[in-house]
Amino acid sequence: MNKLRVLLIDDEEAFVTTLQERLELRDIEARVALDGQQGLHTLTEYSPHVVVLDLRMPGLSGIEVLKQIRHQWPQLPVIMLSGHGSKQDAQTCLDLGAVQYHKKPLDIEELVHSLMHATSKGW
Amino acid sequence: MNPVATEAKFMGTVTALSMHEMQNILAIIRESAGLMGDVLKINAQVDFKYRPKMEQTLEHITSQIDRGKKLLEATSRLAHSPDEDLLLSCDLNIYARTVALLSERQVRLKGARVNFTPAATPLPVAVGALMVLMAGYRAVQWAVNTHIKDGYVQINLQAGDTEHALIITPPVGLCPDVRLLDPASISLPGQNARTHWDGNKLFLFFPTQQAADHE
Repeated sequence: MNKLRVLLIDDEEAFVTTLQERLELRDIEARVALDGQQGLHTLTEYSPHVVVLDLRMPGLSGIEVLKQIRHQWPQLPVIMLSGHGSKQDAQTCLDLGAVQYHKKPLDIEELVHSLMHATSKGW
Repeated sequence: MNPVATEAKFMGTVTALSMHEMQNILAIIRESAGLMGDVLKINAQVDFKYRPKMEQTLEHITSQIDRGKKLLEATSRLAHSPDEDLLLSCDLNIYARTVALLSERQVRLKGARVNFTPAATPLPVAVGALMVLMAGYRAVQWAVNTHIKDGYVQINLQAGDTEHALIITPPVGLCPDVRLLDPASISLPGQNARTHWDGNKLFLFFPTQQAADHE
């Protein structure tokens, strides 16, 4: 069975690289992009099963990246992350097509559950 | 524009940004501690003299992160309370929880604890979030300053047709050497907002959004 492949897009390098390591320890292949532009570029050459995307980033915002992913890769599920955590933000992301929304600090097991759920649904 | 509102908005905006940053910091600490925990688990068979100490320390880190998370949630709500969409109405259920979280430290310093029971549903009131927080916080302050240490400050909610209530029950017993202030002096802003002390509980009544809409 192929490993689950995840693209993590977040500007907090310490956070996202540690998250990458933790996912790898759980036999999940994870690649990192440190901003939205890099994330979109990575998607042209790497086919993850799911994207985990931070809401607030310098440059291209999480919302903008989400819109572009939904437009160019409509079948690719996106899970949003945010340290902000407002209900409005969560609803906006879900309305724009994100499949799940997690607040930081994360619970890794909840994230893994969301990753599995997102890919098993075949979004 | 009201100068107090301007100052409150400034404080709120700057604090909110800092709280967002703190969320990221906590997230980094959580993931780093989590990674250490993962490594310990993977190497469970390896004999390591300091394993119990490390596991205990990681538990401390995790529990403090959870504690920090609650405080950040409450402070973030406080920071956003002067926002335009919360100036005239808010969900009393959410802001009562925020009062409870923000009050914990002041109550603990008086030797007591806060116990909050949320409502099962949202309770929209026609009073701004910042005003609810101010009234609730001052009510809790009154409760611990005038009553005996130890025990609980209980915070409950009561839904009504025209008014919802935030109910503060102080710890039992008045401090003998403290002059009892009139709880009605915890002034509430806006029309139709009122206090009532029944000898055991302090009620802060706020007009429901529904009632305000019908006026």
